[in-house]
Amino acid sequence: MKSAAFALTASVLMAGTFLAGCGAASSAPPSSPTASKASSYKVGLVTDTGGLNDHGFNHLAYLGLMQAKKEFGVTTSVVQSQTASDYVPYLTNYAQQGYNLVIAVGFLMQQAVQQVSKEFPHTKFMIIDDQVNGPNVTSSLFETQQCGYLVGELSGLVQKEHALPNINNDNTLGVVGGMSIPPVNTYIAGFYAGVHAVDPSAKILLKYTNDFNNPNNGQIYAQSEIAQHADIIFQVAGGSGLGVITAAEQSHTYAIGVDANQNYLAPNTVITSAEKGVQIATFDTIKEGVKGTLKPGVQYFNLNNNGVGMATPISAIPQSIVQQVLQSEKEIVAGKIVPPTNIP
Amino acid sequence: MSFFLNPELWALTVTVSVPLIYASLGGMFSERGGVVNIAMEGMMLMSAFVSVAFAYASHNAWIGLLAGVASGAAMSLLFAWATLKLQADQVVVGMAINLLALGLTGYFLDAFYGYNGTPISTPSLPTWHLNVLSHLPVLGPALAQENVLTYLLIPTLLGAQYALFRTPWGLRLRSMGEKPEAGRSAGLSVLRYRLSGVLLSGILSGIAGAYLSIGVLNSFNVDMTAGRGYIALAAMIFGNWKPKGALMASLIFGFLSAASIQLQGSIIPSDIVLMVPYLLTVVAVAGIVGRTTPPAADGIPYQEESL
Repeated sequence: MKSAAFALTASVLMAGTFLAGCGAASSAPPSSPTASKASSYKVGLVTDTGGLNDHGFNHLAYLGLMQAKKEFGVTTSVVQSQTASDYVPYLTNYAQQGYNLVIAVGFLMQQAVQQVSKEFPHTKFMIIDDQVNGPNVTSSLFETQQCGYLVGELSGLVQKEHALPNINNDNTLGVVGGMSIPPVNTYIAGFYAGVHAVDPSAKILLKYTNDFNNPNNGQIYAQSEIAQHADIIFQVAGGSGLGVITAAEQSHTYAIGVDANQNYLAPNTVITSAEKGVQIATFDTIKEGVKGTLKPGVQYFNLNNNGVGMATPISAIPQSIVQQVLQSEKEIVAGKIVPPTNIP
Repeated sequence: MSFFLNPELWALTVTVSVPLIYASLGGMFSERGGVVNIAMEGMMLMSAFVSVAFAYASHNAWIGLLAGVASGAAMSLLFAWATLKLQADQVVVGMAINLLALGLTGYFLDAFYGYNGTPISTPSLPTWHLNVLSHLPVLGPALAQENVLTYLLIPTLLGAQYALFRTPWGLRLRSMGEKPEAGRSAGLSVLRYRLSGVLLSGILSGIAGAYLSIGVLNSFNVDMTAGRGYIALAAMIFGNWKPKGALMASLIFGFLSAASIQLQGSIIPSDIVLMVPYLLTVVAVAGIVGRTTPPAADGIPYQEESL
């Protein structure tokens, strides 16, 4: 009886850990003759703990990967990290299996990439949102303070002019961040600057959920800010931020999406989104990898190369406001406005 | 003082506490029968996913809730089979159940919805507006407009208190947690009573999980329970294995979470506030303040002797 119990426990444990890693989806390339060379090019993508279902950051990287697979017929594989301790083994696994390019999605994987890229000098690595130095590492950095500035200016104007229904007189906006880390804080720094550029007296509430995959937390953090009279909330919290959008929808206030255009999640609530071109960055890097022109070092993505941007605001927002924001966009591109990267 | 009179603080406290109360009541039934149940985390997580899947497929959040509760119960039966029938170590099996639920839900999420997240048209359970309550001072706004599962908590709590302390079944369940041999010598089936306690924990954890996914939200995320099952277990222990205690402890834990959210950005470090409930649990279990006493046979497998 005892041994049966042990065997059962062991097998359930193994099934659990096996399935936990089973987000990995490997697939063979399409067998078109033109893609014969590229199909031997293997790309592995490791997500951070937010997972591929975050409607944002990780999902965009996946879309970039799929686009590359479709256009170049590269062989792709994806694995989703369940915990931070998965990063090193998952990256190592792809490198060991002879993948040509291993993509690490997220700032949180910086140290893991630093370590693994040294051990596998013949494998190319790409890290999104942070800089890792090494002869075989490409880093993609996004100047999200620029799009943060634009959505900040838009919300500041909507708030000031009461341009949407249910905007109160308390002149308060909210931000829910995931963690106080650079890729989150650059968005927020831009947002502050954008709001204060049009309305220096506006009050901005800022809270961090301290995780990226806990939408229930996002919901209550947003609820807390809404109770303090915030009526437009900018979410920079990945999967946790989805709860921010739900909270705004429930209380008939407004939210601003992040990374991807998240308007489809709540069409009357998400007035615009601060977009980050993770899909383009991923696709371009794979493209250069396939062509053999991939260089180590940092690649910057900003308004000038459409690497970041503001999603088209909902039509309820007056054109005068949208035009004013688009004017600022031109000035940022021209270098006349330089949004800060640090929160005041 | 104004900090404590802020109705929003109490509204947040309720939102955070509700799933903890359901799950801690569940854990209480299981442990009162002598089965340590750390598997509530997994039961909640499974229910959180299943309730979204069924709510979406049937366009009815109530069917989602029923399916979620059923999946929590199914997980508890698996747990009961391993711990009661096979007498495996309860903590190890509990951990295995949690990992199984994490893996299965993550896998199903991708398999069903293909990296797009759960569908946005998933319905959620209704919010009731009891305007009568809104006139109460301070607590009024927190109680007047809540999810239906919050109101369902009141009969659940009363029922739990009554069942455990006023019915023959409750008395017998408690005896199985204190001294199963005594129950057995009275001709009762220890395993059957323990099973009923574990099953109730599955059902109540199922409600807690559904509250997280289709109660306050209408979506599922990988590992969205984020340790709430363990927190509920701690609350139940801090509450001394009693319904009233579980309620109070869950509310204290919820209050401190809510306070830490409200305090973010102020002089008091919110992380410290968030730490307090766990410190309290350690203190309570160690017996320094307000000694807690677990059921005597808690965690000990029982080999049923034939009569």
